[in-house]
Amino acid sequence: MSNFAARRHFAERWVGYLKGRLGFLSLTLIYALLVAACLISLASEDELSLGRNPLANLAKTAGEFARPSFLDLWFGDPHLEYKSDDGRVLRVENRQEVEADYLAALGRATWTTVRIATLGSLLGALLALPLAVLTARNLSAPKPLAWLAKAVLDITRSIHTLVFGLVLVGIVGLGPTAGILAIGLHSLGTYGKLFAEAIESLDMAAIDAVRSVGATPDQVFFNAVWPSVLPQFVASHLYVWEFNIRDSTILGLIGAGGLGLLITEATALFQWGRLSTVLIVVVLMVSTFDALSRRIRQALA
Amino acid sequence: MTTREDFSPDSGGQGGTIALRQVCCIADGRALLDIGTLDIRPGERVAIVGHNGAGKSTLLRLLTGFASLTHGRVEVLGRDLSARPTPEQLRALRHEVGQIHQGLHLVGRLSALENTLIGSLGRVAGWRSWVRYFPAQERASAEAALHAVGLLPRARTRADKLSGGERQKVAIARLLLQRPKLILADEPTAALDPAAASEVCHLLAQAAQSATLISVVHNAALLPLLAERVIGLKNGRIAFDLPLAAVDDQKLVNLYRPDQFAPTVPWQMRESEPCSAL
Repeated sequence: MSNFAARRHFAERWVGYLKGRLGFLSLTLIYALLVAACLISLASEDELSLGRNPLANLAKTAGEFARPSFLDLWFGDPHLEYKSDDGRVLRVENRQEVEADYLAALGRATWTTVRIATLGSLLGALLALPLAVLTARNLSAPKPLAWLAKAVLDITRSIHTLVFGLVLVGIVGLGPTAGILAIGLHSLGTYGKLFAEAIESLDMAAIDAVRSVGATPDQVFFNAVWPSVLPQFVASHLYVWEFNIRDSTILGLIGAGGLGLLITEATALFQWGRLSTVLIVVVLMVSTFDALSRRIRQALA
Repeated sequence: MTTREDFSPDSGGQGGTIALRQVCCIADGRALLDIGTLDIRPGERVAIVGHNGAGKSTLLRLLTGFASLTHGRVEVLGRDLSARPTPEQLRALRHEVGQIHQGLHLVGRLSALENTLIGSLGRVAGWRSWVRYFPAQERASAEAALHAVGLLPRARTRADKLSGGERQKVAIARLLLQRPKLILADEPTAALDPAAASEVCHLLAQAAQSATLISVVHNAALLPLLAERVIGLKNGRIAFDLPLAAVDDQKLVNLYRPDQFAPTVPWQMRESEPCSAL
């Protein structure tokens, strides 16, 4: 106990040094020094260049972006002729039909992305629940178990979804399964932290109220714990799910399927018009889900 | 010296609601409670008064097994709490003990009716209590209990939307549904205005008509509503234990006044004084 008190005293003294105007000033100074070090070292390595003609590139890219490919559905040339240098017609293409096929593929990819995000989030939430119960400080689980659970949560949270995806593609092969597992494993850490916080903010008076009439542990759980944590669980689930919808759009980059695949394709072929179409879909999807989940979270509060 | 025989059912415990012998509670190296003998008979109305930290709440928590005693013997409703009761024994005891606190002891996200129905959890077990699908008969009595405290119109309101007085009334309705033999009220009027406080006290006294009532009160004006016997606690010890009529303002003032001189000889020092024996 005295050891604990000594440690706390030590911590308080350090926090004490950082308090006040002088402490804040020195923190600002340290931050400024760090920024300067980053800038100067990069400049000295000549890594701060913007390329040869950034303005022209920007104008060209922005121009193509401004004309998303889906406009071809109406304005595309129905009889586009590909000619060789000597004027021979190699191939005739209906741009409108090609774009309709592309949009159908885009729809399927969007659905795959939603499926990856939804199943991955559910997987992460289910895996995180027992770990959150173990790490919540007010439930005082056995120390070694709590540390183990906290380690799992910290590790999974610090490894990016893409890294998990790359490893998993090697294990379960290309396709949405790798994406689902990657999303699940990474969001496990976030879920665990949010769930544990929900449990820690539990209203202990409510638990005492139910306990004081002689309720059994299961009755205490369903009548006091569950009603107070459920809305918070649902809110965190919606929040992370929403995050994962955004996250899963890039999982296609590593072959996990979905919109990311179309993004890689479009960037590899410098088809900025197509990328523009894909990004519009991403923005629409994410903001729709955001609006829906915000409504639900407000209703639950 | 008090011996085990003193505690036999026919001396202290015969039908006795509460019997304490040589009780000492120590936490963080401080004696919270140091009581030689205390008996409370069935149906008594007892108020406990004393300064903050005098051990009032510890005493109430001790009686329901929420606080554990370092030394001594405690018997509540014929159950011996000294020998580390099992969770089942504690639950059986708590079924028969109604508790009411400072208005915080409700489940905020449940409705007034559902909070009242928590009082019936001792009788409703299993999945029905998990999904709060209570038998029609319990629902009817819960509504009757809410009606008795005048809150039936607010039955569907969530507890965290109720005022302080309304919350206390829900807690009393819960007591009515629980039908306990012993009611412990820890400062039930602490957060209420005078009008609400006396209303709650009246309802509480009514609810306790067929039970023993022990309440912790600070407001001397409320003592006549809740008690016929007053126990003054000071620094964890019983300073006085008198019928209501014998308690005057001077006694209360003395009780709440901090000690000018720390007593060199603790009150009623005996060879077997619970805490000094340790």
